[in-house]
Amino acid sequence: MSRLSPVISCVYRWSSRVIWRSPPTHPSFPGLPRVLAAGKKDLIHLPVLNEDELEEQFVRGSGPGGQATNKTSNCVVLKHIPTGIVVKCHQTRSVDTNRKRARDIMREKLDIRHKGELSEVLVKKKESEMRKQEKRRKVNENLERKRQFKEALATSSETGKDPV
Amino acid sequence: MWRTSLSAGFRCFVCKRAGIKGIWGSNAVRRCSAPALPTDRITARQAADLWKRYFEEMGVTEPDHSSSYIIAYLLGAKTMESVEKGKLTEFLSQDKTEQIWKLCTRRLSGMPVQYVIEEWDFRDLTLKMRPPVFIPRPETEELVELVLSDLNMKPRTGAGDEALLTCLEVGCGSGAISLSLLKSLPQLQVIAVDQSQDAVDLTRHNAVRLGLQDRLQVCHIDVMEDAEAVLSLCNTVSVLVSNPPYLFSEDMTLLQREIYRFEDHAALDGGKDGLKVIKQILIQAPQILSNHGRVYLEVDPRHPPVIQRWVEANVEEMHYMETRCDINNRPRFCILQKEKSNKDHKLDLD
Repeated sequence: MSRLSPVISCVYRWSSRVIWRSPPTHPSFPGLPRVLAAGKKDLIHLPVLNEDELEEQFVRGSGPGGQATNKTSNCVVLKHIPTGIVVKCHQTRSVDTNRKRARDIMREKLDIRHKGELSEVLVKKKESEMRKQEKRRKVNENLERKRQFKEALATSSETGKDPV
Repeated sequence: MWRTSLSAGFRCFVCKRAGIKGIWGSNAVRRCSAPALPTDRITARQAADLWKRYFEEMGVTEPDHSSSYIIAYLLGAKTMESVEKGKLTEFLSQDKTEQIWKLCTRRLSGMPVQYVIEEWDFRDLTLKMRPPVFIPRPETEELVELVLSDLNMKPRTGAGDEALLTCLEVGCGSGAISLSLLKSLPQLQVIAVDQSQDAVDLTRHNAVRLGLQDRLQVCHIDVMEDAEAVLSLCNTVSVLVSNPPYLFSEDMTLLQREIYRFEDHAALDGGKDGLKVIKQILIQAPQILSNHGRVYLEVDPRHPPVIQRWVEANVEEMHYMETRCDINNRPRFCILQKEKSNKDHKLDLD
């Protein structure tokens, strides 16, 4: 297990406004063996996240928190200590949701790190890209065919000949 | 060309700040009026930068976040980071620009962003926000997680498995907690009460918006004045959850203006020691809860040990189970359980 204290003391020197949360035993993120990526179209088996290996940063200011504070900054920065991968998430206005999504993104990044090109994340992405390209090609073909047909109609009406 | 008009806009409010008399009138110094609408088209990115700088000038807290959230909202997104690619650098229509100016101007007076855009997110829900109903705080998202993880881990005990679980929320505000629980647990029924009619109305409105009204009952009751009314609503509730007013009265005046001027003080002020409503909830809890039913409270970081001592001395049937911390590592949540037996309490805990 990597030691966290040198990293944490370093962070406190940067800015007193940054609060590092020490690895929590958080009920929402239990370590399940094989986790399905939530919310994505296809089911993907991604590596498990060990909360002990993560450091989370919330820039919430130095206020008292809770009812006594109304701050809207809820960007989440998640760092995977062993690999140094950092994920930043500010997709929504909910801290909880941003934390969950940051973890989903982290799992994808870890999968890519471990498996490279073979990572399902990249494979699916490539497939989706290829499908899009194929679709575009077909649309362009259709347009081209229509254009040629129109041209043929135009020329034949000029010359009085029937189109082929 | 747009540069000139923007700087002209700046000249306007700079004059105001210097208190120069003229067409803007005297002493219009810190009247927090908006910069002039740009005469030429600008992009969303430019509008965000302009308003960020203006908010900074006018001492509005979170100048960057404020302008970002407002503009993202008007572009149909939750955050700037999730705005459709390219939209930020497109020129805004006149209409859209005016909308931005209108909403950003509201923020000048210190109105919370959530009231300016009239909505906010809480976990996976988007809720309508309306002053002075209390705006859900991010810490409270964790309170919901605590309740959910306990309910999900609850061992199914045979008969009555499929029966509806009932939860009571005291002080529902905009409905954040109740609606979150309802969304995540299809087998849950919730009774929510609040002393504010505005809160009751808003919770109902949000429930309908989210299609969760069938399993929710919202009642206008002040637990301090009319505990009987609550007792008559619920007989055996498995969970009592609350984010009650818990600030110390003396701390109310220290609040940032976003809170002090716009949010319902009754949703914040917990009395001299911040425990006024909490104590009332705990006194009533044994009559409301089924045996082994639990209370989940969000509190001030100074409260947990005080509550524990007080409950042990004053509420025989309620057992203090644990204190949990929030995302900033402050003691924030208290979990208590009802234990009926009068004998050795320790034997009953499991």
